[in-house]
Amino acid sequence: MNGQEILSYVPILMMFLVSLAIATGMVVSSSLFGQKVKSREKLMPYECGKDPVGSARERFSVKFYMVALMFILFDIEAIFFVPWAVVFRKMAEVYSKAFVFLEMLVFIAVLLVGYIYVWKKGILDWK
Amino acid sequence: MMTLLLQTSVLDINYVAIWPMIILSISGIAVLLFGIAKDPVHRDMSMIGIVGFVLAGVATGRLWLPVKTVGQIRAFSNMVIIDHFSLYFFFIFIIIGLLTLLISASFLEAERLPVGEFYSLVMFAVVGMMLMAAAGHLVMIFLGLEIASISTYALAGYRRNDLRSNESAIKYFVLGSAATAFLLYGMALIYGATGSAELEGIRTAIIDNVNAATKQPVHTELLFLGAAMMLVGFSFKVSAVPFHLWTPDVYEGAPSSVTAFMATASKAAAFAAFLRVFVFCFVPGYGQGLHSAWTTSLETIAILTMIAGNIAALTQHNFKRMLAYSSIAHAGYALVGLIADDWQAVAFYLLTYSITNIGAFGLITYLAGRGDRETEIDDLAGLGFNNLGVSIAMLILLLSLAGIPLTAGFMGKFIVFKAAWQKGFHVAVIVAVVTSAVSVYYYLRPMVIMFFRELKVEPKRLPLPTGVLVTVVLSILGTFYLGVMPGRLFQAMENAKVSFVQSR
Repeated sequence: MNGQEILSYVPILMMFLVSLAIATGMVVSSSLFGQKVKSREKLMPYECGKDPVGSARERFSVKFYMVALMFILFDIEAIFFVPWAVVFRKMAEVYSKAFVFLEMLVFIAVLLVGYIYVWKKGILDWK
Repeated sequence: MMTLLLQTSVLDINYVAIWPMIILSISGIAVLLFGIAKDPVHRDMSMIGIVGFVLAGVATGRLWLPVKTVGQIRAFSNMVIIDHFSLYFFFIFIIIGLLTLLISASFLEAERLPVGEFYSLVMFAVVGMMLMAAAGHLVMIFLGLEIASISTYALAGYRRNDLRSNESAIKYFVLGSAATAFLLYGMALIYGATGSAELEGIRTAIIDNVNAATKQPVHTELLFLGAAMMLVGFSFKVSAVPFHLWTPDVYEGAPSSVTAFMATASKAAAFAAFLRVFVFCFVPGYGQGLHSAWTTSLETIAILTMIAGNIAALTQHNFKRMLAYSSIAHAGYALVGLIADDWQAVAFYLLTYSITNIGAFGLITYLAGRGDRETEIDDLAGLGFNNLGVSIAMLILLLSLAGIPLTAGFMGKFIVFKAAWQKGFHVAVIVAVVTSAVSVYYYLRPMVIMFFRELKVEPKRLPLPTGVLVTVVLSILGTFYLGVMPGRLFQAMENAKVSFVQSR
């Protein structure tokens, strides 16, 4: 590996440094300036609202998984908007703008079908 | 239509090329939406499924002639390659998918399982398999494999109140993911060695011995390691012997119609991708002996597969388990064709095997009765007196699996063994012939039990459902057609156009 190639990794190093700075900055500044309310819940380690100490065999509702799965699905599919938005102009030079827009509408329509399915299956219905 | 096909552009968006997949995806979504209606009508959903598969078949057929004139259709920047190879496999997947719907209709109704999800999962799995067969890029193979596998994982556990079905799904999922990891690692290494993830780029890099990205010689160690990893991944997916242990458990526990689908379509899809990568890219004479390395290791795997599969099948008491071992053995026979570099022989073999096996499994879904429970071979006792038609149908299909002349099974084996013999793989062919002689024993045992053993308990079997009847009739007709006059199909396959094989 020559020097030129190693230099091309510098942006990644910078990203690491920036993210490190942001993370430590947030923790440090909130412990410096934030107000402190010491209730029992606040002092517990954060574990999605569950008491983290106790029997590991506790049962909890399958709905947690459903919501987590749905979140992951829709979250990841929403990420696909980003590359589309980036190449929109370039693609619109080759195809028409309407076509490129329609492509994304088709994608959203498929997402919507998934949403309807989830809804009708009663996964959003928490009774 | 032609102008549309030949249109090229930056992104190469070509919907005509992927029509079959689009049709199946849309009808899969439609079935899914029908399934969540207030009170879904089973018949309507079956109808949508059947129409979807038939339309996809028509769309595939309409691509045949353009491919004949143009040679191949590439779409989406070489991601998808439509040539006669992919179209041939499309037909296998569509036929098997359609027959799977037919044999599962009555079972789903009797078990009161949701229909919409089942049908749409089968259709999505078929779409994934098509992408595997038409892939022109390693990533496309991976995507297709994942679409197909995840759908089949869910299908294997479809009877979710049944422990065996759950066990089957979990085993399949865990082991399948491990194998996929091997495959993916292999792909990454091959990309590193050749500098290209496009199949044609890999092929060119190996032939010219130039890494496409760095313009330096191909890194041989990386290439071999990647090929070995992919070999492991694919061997798992086709259930070849050191990697076959999941097959009997998964096939036994899954619902019988799902087992039928896994044993035929999934296996054919894995072979399609296997052929695309190994036969079309790792060509003889280049790559510092890569070709002889993979054929030698696959020859060993094939011999082990045939011996272990057939011998293990001899001792089975459960019909589905026996057919699982038989499908392992059949994977071994198909591998014999693969090492002979003959994709036509392998594809024809897979067609004959799939057509026969789907009929046999269709009969099992019917004979297993309520709860999919009566799958022991002894449960067949006295069936010959009780239900002559079903037992004769079973007899014909099992004889075809054993490879008796006049049936499809014989023709398939004959073609594969001939190809391998001409290429000089004599040991493998001799082992194949001897083990298929051994296999006749376990295929005949259910026969003996059916016809020569007293009825133990009067079984309470319902009349044969129409779907199963149609499947079995089609399967038997196909068995005889392919066994007696395969000439036309051979002709079509001889003239088949395959991408980037003739290019050098």
